[in-house]
Amino acid sequence: MSVRTVLLLLALVILGSVAGCGLFTVYETEQALVMQYGNPKRVVKEPGLHWKIPFLQQVTYFDARILNLDVPAQEVIASDQKRLEVDAFARYRIIDPLRVYQTVRNENGASNRLATLLVSNMRQVLAATDFQTIVSGDRERLMRQIRDLVNREAEGLGIEVVDVRLRRVDLPIANSKAIFERMRTEREREAAEARAEGQEQAQRIRAQAERERTVLLAEAERDAQRIRGEGDAQAVRIFAEAFSKDPAFFEFMRTLEAYRKTFADGQTTVVLSPESEFLKLMGAGARDAERGARR
Amino acid sequence: MPWQSSGGGWGGRQNPWGGGRPPSSGGGAGPDLEESLRRLQAGIRRLVPGGGRAGLALVGIVFLVLWAATGIYQVRPNEQGVVLRFGKWVYTTGPGLHWHLPWPIETALTPAVTDVNRIDVGFTDQGDRRNRSARQVEEGLMLTGDENIVDVAFTVFWQIKDAGQFLFNIEPPQELTVKGVAESVMREIIGKTPIEVALTEGRGNIQTEARQKIQQVLDDYGAGILVTEVKLEKVDPPAEVIDAFRDVQAAEADRERFRNEAERYANQIIPAARGQANQMIQEAEAYREQVIAHAEGEVARFLAVLEQYRLAPDITKKRMYLETMEEILKGVNKVIVDPKAGGPGVIPYMALPEASKGAAGGRSRGTGGGQ
Repeated sequence: MSVRTVLLLLALVILGSVAGCGLFTVYETEQALVMQYGNPKRVVKEPGLHWKIPFLQQVTYFDARILNLDVPAQEVIASDQKRLEVDAFARYRIIDPLRVYQTVRNENGASNRLATLLVSNMRQVLAATDFQTIVSGDRERLMRQIRDLVNREAEGLGIEVVDVRLRRVDLPIANSKAIFERMRTEREREAAEARAEGQEQAQRIRAQAERERTVLLAEAERDAQRIRGEGDAQAVRIFAEAFSKDPAFFEFMRTLEAYRKTFADGQTTVVLSPESEFLKLMGAGARDAERGARR
Repeated sequence: MPWQSSGGGWGGRQNPWGGGRPPSSGGGAGPDLEESLRRLQAGIRRLVPGGGRAGLALVGIVFLVLWAATGIYQVRPNEQGVVLRFGKWVYTTGPGLHWHLPWPIETALTPAVTDVNRIDVGFTDQGDRRNRSARQVEEGLMLTGDENIVDVAFTVFWQIKDAGQFLFNIEPPQELTVKGVAESVMREIIGKTPIEVALTEGRGNIQTEARQKIQQVLDDYGAGILVTEVKLEKVDPPAEVIDAFRDVQAAEADRERFRNEAERYANQIIPAARGQANQMIQEAEAYREQVIAHAEGEVARFLAVLEQYRLAPDITKKRMYLETMEEILKGVNKVIVDPKAGGPGVIPYMALPEASKGAAGGRSRGTGGGQ
């Protein structure tokens, strides 16, 4: 190896390294700010291989992705004086690294500043809204409102808030306890109502059944009496019709029948006179009897 | 292996560049590269003792080949290869073995695009669901539209829709974004739903709406994420009041039970009453038939007798009288008093108790003239 070759190689190496110092890459996920002795020169947003003046310029990188910003849960007072625990987060993007560098230096500063803005604007928007709307209303609209307010103030920072979302909107512990209590009492009321309703219906059903039973039996009784009466009437009619053909004979015959039945028990003592129809033969002779028979 | 995947970390355990600068050695091949270089040097010393140009050239070629070999990478069936040239995304490859220009020119990332990932909110899949941490319980408690609180646990299933967007648009860990959005969307939806609906028939709608909304927000972010499913694991009343809710159901069952018991009672007594009524009617009808038949019988007998009597009234009458007297006087005590025969000595007085034979222990008064 001659000296020339060595020199050439050396030169090549030096050149290469100098050139290497002038090259820098920008990743898909980042953007770069090229600075000259602390003065920002230009912004590089295009990913890939880029060129800067070696040693004279330095590169500062910023994230180009959508970044998370979580703020701790805040206690907020709604317009109707109800307290709420609100936990929100934002998604933001650095759109102007130059501005960021000039105002808040770096991403850390940006997120701190943004957190402050987010909390204050969130309080402001929610304080003007009543509890019911915050919980059940159009949260989308509230979130957009907060986002736009934050964006208006963050414009000068080179940051754009893509989205503000309310993650949790809860009641403070004490209020939750009150709600649980109310839920419990509501359910207890419902349960008692259901049972009472059941009792009421049962009673109604029973009473109705008993009424029906009473009515059924009474009507049956009525009809039974009517039917018996019909029978009796019919019998009377039949008797009357027949006996009126010869009332005298009926009386005679029925009387005999009655005698027979009433004296049948053998408990009777009969005092007879020999004069009676039955005994008249005892006293008189057969002639008398004949006479009597002829009469 | 020199081509270990540098694009791991979709489980949140690591991430390509942690939000800062990419590592200086492309694709994590650094240690391997240095190792091979050291081995290379040792090999060269053995191979080319004299050195010289040929040796140098050989060293150069071997070095080049080895360097080129670091550009070989494998894309597994569930992955996509994303190739960056000087940090710029240039193309995407499918599964298989590929080669990219070696570091520092190109690097490759291999995100798992077909894997379905899950995020649990309000509980964890691992471990016992009943022993949830306080944080998870808190995560699950949500206000409903009618100012009640429900305990919700749900799972979001998602996969990478667009590898480039997924890798380059949102800050890792990406599931943090999915979880935050999912939580906020779910709470928003529950916050509009009355508790009764959320606990019962509303679940299907809540799932669908949540999936659509989460997807929409993620698309707004350009997150490159596809939400395949949102599954409500449970929607319950909070533990503090669950007994009261269960009691409501028990009470509703009781209500039915009371009714059924009453119905049973009614179904017992009414047919019984019907039967009783029917029996009464039947008895009455039987009576009617009976008395009519009886009358008809008597009348028939009377008419038959009457007919015969009319043929010989006197004699029949006499006969009937006598027969009757005979019959009745047979069975009775008879006392015959002849006023003429007795003269004035007999007083028409009858000691009634004495007169009856059956009178037990009669107080004897007057003459025992009976027998």
